[in-house]
Amino acid sequence: MVPTPTPTPPPTRAPSSVPAPAPTPTPAVRLTLSRLRRIASVTPRGEFLAPPRMTATAVRLLVQVCLVVYLWRGLYANTESSAGLDETQAVGYAVLAVLAGRIRGLDRRAGRDTVIQHLHFGTIVYWYLRPMRPQRYYALRALGDQVYGFGWVLGGYVLCLAAGVVAPPASAEVAAVFAVSMLLGQLVLYYVMMLVDLLCFWTLRNEAALLILVFAQNLLSGVYAPLWYFPDWFITLSAFLPFQATLGVPLSIYVGRIGVGDAFGQMAVQGVWIVLLALLTRRLWDMAGCRVVAQGG
Amino acid sequence: MTTPSSSPSTPTPSTPTPSTTTPSTSAGPTASVRGVRAARVVWRITKLNFKARLEYRGEFLMGVAIGAIWQVSIIVFATVLLTRFPGLGGWSSSDVLLIASMRMLAHGLYVLFLGRIQYMNVLVQEGIVDPCLIRPMPVYRQVQLAFFPVNAIGDLVVAVGLFAAALQRSSLDWTAGRIVYVVAGVLGGMLVEAALFTALAAAAFHFPATSYWAQWLEELMGTFGSYPLSILPKAASAAFTFVVPLAFIAYFPAGVLTGHGDDMGVPRALAVAAPFVGLVAFVLSRLLWNWSLSRYTGVNG
Amino acid sequence: MNAVIEARGLSKVFHTTVRRPGLGGALRSLVSPERVAKVAVRDVDFRVGKGELLALLGPNGAGKSTTIKMLTGILTPTSGEALVAGVVPHRDRERNAHNIGAVFGQRTQLWWDLPARESFAILRDIYGVPEDRYRERIAEFDGLLELSEFWDTRVRHLSLGQRVRCDLAASLLHDPPVVFLDEPTIGMDVVVKEQVRRFLRHQVEERERTVLLTTHDMTEVARLAERVVLINHGRIVLDGPLQEIRRRFGGTWQIRATLADAADLQEIERQERFAVGDGSCGSDGSGQGRGSVRGDRPDGSAGPGGSAGPGGPFGGQRDLSSLPGFAGIGVLRREGPRVVFGPVGDGAPSVHEALKVVIGRFQVTDLALEENDLEDVMRSAYLSDVPGQGALAPEGSSSSPSSFSSPSSDPSAPSDPSASSDSSSSAAVTSTSQGG
Repeated sequence: MVPTPTPTPPPTRAPSSVPAPAPTPTPAVRLTLSRLRRIASVTPRGEFLAPPRMTATAVRLLVQVCLVVYLWRGLYANTESSAGLDETQAVGYAVLAVLAGRIRGLDRRAGRDTVIQHLHFGTIVYWYLRPMRPQRYYALRALGDQVYGFGWVLGGYVLCLAAGVVAPPASAEVAAVFAVSMLLGQLVLYYVMMLVDLLCFWTLRNEAALLILVFAQNLLSGVYAPLWYFPDWFITLSAFLPFQATLGVPLSIYVGRIGVGDAFGQMAVQGVWIVLLALLTRRLWDMAGCRVVAQGG
Repeated sequence: MTTPSSSPSTPTPSTPTPSTTTPSTSAGPTASVRGVRAARVVWRITKLNFKARLEYRGEFLMGVAIGAIWQVSIIVFATVLLTRFPGLGGWSSSDVLLIASMRMLAHGLYVLFLGRIQYMNVLVQEGIVDPCLIRPMPVYRQVQLAFFPVNAIGDLVVAVGLFAAALQRSSLDWTAGRIVYVVAGVLGGMLVEAALFTALAAAAFHFPATSYWAQWLEELMGTFGSYPLSILPKAASAAFTFVVPLAFIAYFPAGVLTGHGDDMGVPRALAVAAPFVGLVAFVLSRLLWNWSLSRYTGVNG
Repeated sequence: MNAVIEARGLSKVFHTTVRRPGLGGALRSLVSPERVAKVAVRDVDFRVGKGELLALLGPNGAGKSTTIKMLTGILTPTSGEALVAGVVPHRDRERNAHNIGAVFGQRTQLWWDLPARESFAILRDIYGVPEDRYRERIAEFDGLLELSEFWDTRVRHLSLGQRVRCDLAASLLHDPPVVFLDEPTIGMDVVVKEQVRRFLRHQVEERERTVLLTTHDMTEVARLAERVVLINHGRIVLDGPLQEIRRRFGGTWQIRATLADAADLQEIERQERFAVGDGSCGSDGSGQGRGSVRGDRPDGSAGPGGSAGPGGPFGGQRDLSSLPGFAGIGVLRREGPRVVFGPVGDGAPSVHEALKVVIGRFQVTDLALEENDLEDVMRSAYLSDVPGQGALAPEGSSSSPSSFSSPSSDPSAPSDPSASSDSSSSAAVTSTSQGG
C-alpha cells in the first residue's frame, strides 16, 4: 500500500525520488525531454492510428498539387513572364506553397485539441490545472505538428522534384538561405496561428470566422498566389503585415525572385516580426489566463 | 461567458406552434395554410436567432467584417489573375468578372439560406441533431435554423457590389430573357453549392471527419469556381463538371450569357440547363441526406 | 483535525452584459451594452479534513461549480481566501496542480484521438510521476475500475461511463492528496456508478485522500458522504452530517397504526380537543417534507409549509405533547381505529423514537412506517430559502417567499439527477448553436 504524501509540504516539481540518476541527464532534463517527446507526438500518434485520415491527406495533397500545376501552366499559356516570374518559377512557387500548407494543417481539430474546441467544450480548465503552463503545452504541441507536417512536405517535395514539377534551388547558397528563411517563416507562422487561437479567448467562438481568418492569412502570405502579382497598394499593405514573412519570403528566395543579396534584409524583417509577435502573444497569454481566472473557462 | 443569457441562442423555445405538428389528416388545414404557418415559424426563429447573435456584439461585428474580408480577398485574387493574365482561356476580363460575381452572389445566398448544413458534423458530434429528431419540424429545416449566419451579411454586401460592377462593365444587352436567366443561374449556383455540402453532410451522420473535406471543398470552390475552367486540361475540367460539379455554379451560366456556350467542353444544352441541374442536384442530395438520416444511430457519449 | 481544504469567506461576483428587450433593444445593446454584477457565491466558509469526503450539494446554479473552481485555482475569488493543502490555489498554480486532481463531469481531459492509456502516459510526463509509481497506480486503478478492458480504445470511441472512469484514473495518477469531483457519475448506469463509488470510498479510506464532490445523485450522497455542505443562492445553508439535513428539512415521517383499544382512541380524541388552536403548526403530513420549514419559522402559522397543506393553516394536525413522552408527536389523520402519527414542531423525535413511544403507550394491532426519502428531503431543502450559515436566521422569512409557490411535485424540481449540473455547462452547450 502506497502511503499518501502528507498534504502540506507539497511534492516538489521534479521527482526527487528517482534513484541516483546517471550524471549527465539530470532528472529535470529527463523530465523535460520526455514531456517534449510525449506531447509533441500527440498528433503523429493520432494520425498513425487513423490510416484513412492519412490516405485522405495524401489524396488531397496530390490532387491539389496537380490542380495548381495545371492552373499556373494554363495561366502562362500566352505569357512569357509576369511580375518578374516565369512559368517555372510560378509553378515551383505554387507547388511549394501547397506543400507548405501541410506543415500545419488543421489535423488537431479532429483530435479536439484546438484552443477553440477546448473553450467550446470547457476542457480548457484542465490546461490551467496542470503543473505546466498552457503556453508551454501549446508550444510543444505545435512543435510536434510542425515536425510531423515537415515529414509530409519533405516526401511531397522529393516526389515533385522527381516528377520535374519543381526545379531544385539554383545553388547551394540559395538552398541554405532558403532553409534559414523557411525556419524563420515557420516561427512567424507559429506566432500568427497562436494569435488567432488566442483571439478565441475573447470573441471568436465562430469556427467559420476562424477558417476565413486562416484563408485571409493564406492569401496575404502568398499561399494562393505570389504577392508579386498583386497591385502595388496590396504589396505595400502586406509589407506592414507579418503574413508575407511566413511563406512569401522564403518561397521567393527559393525560386530566385528574391536574390541572396536581398534575402538578408528580408530575414531581418522576419526576425523583427518574431520578436514583436512573441512579446504580443506572451502578453495575450497572460490576459487569456486572467480571463479564464475571472470567468472560469 | 459562464452564466448569463444562454437561453436565447437556441431556437427551441420558439419552436412549438402546435398547428405545424398536425399530421396530414384530411380534417387538417390545407397545404397552403400549413405552408404559411411553417414559413411564419421559420421567420420567427430566424428573428430570434438574429437577436441571439446580436447578444455577442464583438462577434457580431466581426462576423460581418469577416464575411466582407473573405469576399474582398477573393476579388483581389480575381483582379490579380485578370490584370496579370489577360485573355484568360480566351475570355475577356469583363466576362470573367461575370463568372466571379455570379459565383460570389450564389455563395452569399447559399450561406444565408442553406449554409448551416456545412456544420452538420459539429451538430452531430455535439448531439444537437438528436433532439431535432423528436421535434415537429423537418430536421433539415431545424439544422438550417440552428443559428443566424452573420457573415452572410458581409458576404452579400460585397457580392452585390461586385455583381453591380460586373453588370456595368459587361457589354451585353440585358434583355428580359437574359435577366431571367442570370437570376436562375445565381439561384441554381446556390443550389449546386448547397447540394455539394448537403451530400457531404449526409456523410457527417456517420463519419466525424467530414469537416476536413468540407473545408477543402470550400477552398476549391473559392479558387476554381470563379474562373473559366477552359484554362485547365480536359481531365481537370471534366472532374469539375461531373465529379465535383462546381462548373455549374457560375462558369456555365455565365458562359452561356456571354456567348461561350460552344467552347466550354460540354454540349451546349447541358451548359444552358445549369440552373436546372442545380435544382436536380439539390433534390438528389436531399434524398441522399434523408436516407442517411434514416440510418442515423446517434453518437455515443 | 487539520484542514486540508479551507474556504474562508469566499465570494465570487461575475460581471455580465444583459440585453435589452426587443430587437431595437438588442441593436442598442450592440452600441452600449448594459453591465450587471451577479453574485455567484457569497461568503462561503468551510473546512475539510484529511481523509474526509465532503459532498457539496445544492440546486442547479447554486454556486457549487463556482466554489469548486475557486478551490482548484481556476477562478480567482472576488474576496475571501481559499487554502488547499497549504497552498492558495490561484496564486501558486503549479504547486497547487501537484496537490490536486480534478474531474469536471462530462468534460474530459483525455486526448480525444489517442487510446486512454496514452493519455495516462502523457499526464505521467506532465506531472513527472516516476515510472514505478506510475505502474503501481495504473495497476491499482485497473483493479478497481477495470480500465484494461477498454484503455486501448481511442477516447472518442469510449462510452461515457468508460471515459469518466479513465478520467478519474487520469486525475489521480500523480497521487494528489486532494481531489475535486464535479458530478463524476452524471449519466452513468447503475453498475458503473456503484463501481465508481467503491473506487472513491477506497481512495478516501485507504489512501486518505480528501475528496470534495458535487452531485445530484442522492443515493451517492447517502453512500459516500459523512458530511454535506448544502449551498443555495451562493450561500451555505447547512454544513453537517447527512442526518442534519434530514432533521432540518425532512423530519417528516408517519406511523400508521391501527389501535385495538377504544380507550386509547378516546384518550387521543380528548388530547386533540385540548390541543386545537394552541398554535402548533403544520403540514398536512403528506410526506412532502414541507413541514420541516417550520423549524426556521417560529411563528409557525406564517410558514408557507402550513399554508400549502390542503387542510389549511392548522391542517388537521393535533398535538399530543401533553401525553407523557409524546413531546413532538402529533396525530395527522384519524379514521376510526386507524391513526396516523407524525412529528410536530421543533425537536420532534426521530421515527424510531416515536415508534417506541407509540407502541409503549397504545395497543397496536397493525403498524406501518413511512419516512421521506432523501430526494424529498433535498427538494424541500432546495426550495426552502434559508440564508445564513446554518443558523435559524429570522430574516430569512423576508427573502423571496415566492420560491415556495412552485409545488414540490413540479417535474422541473431541481433534484432531477439527469439535469445538467450548472449554468456553465449549459452555457457551453448552447454556445454551440452560436458557432459557425
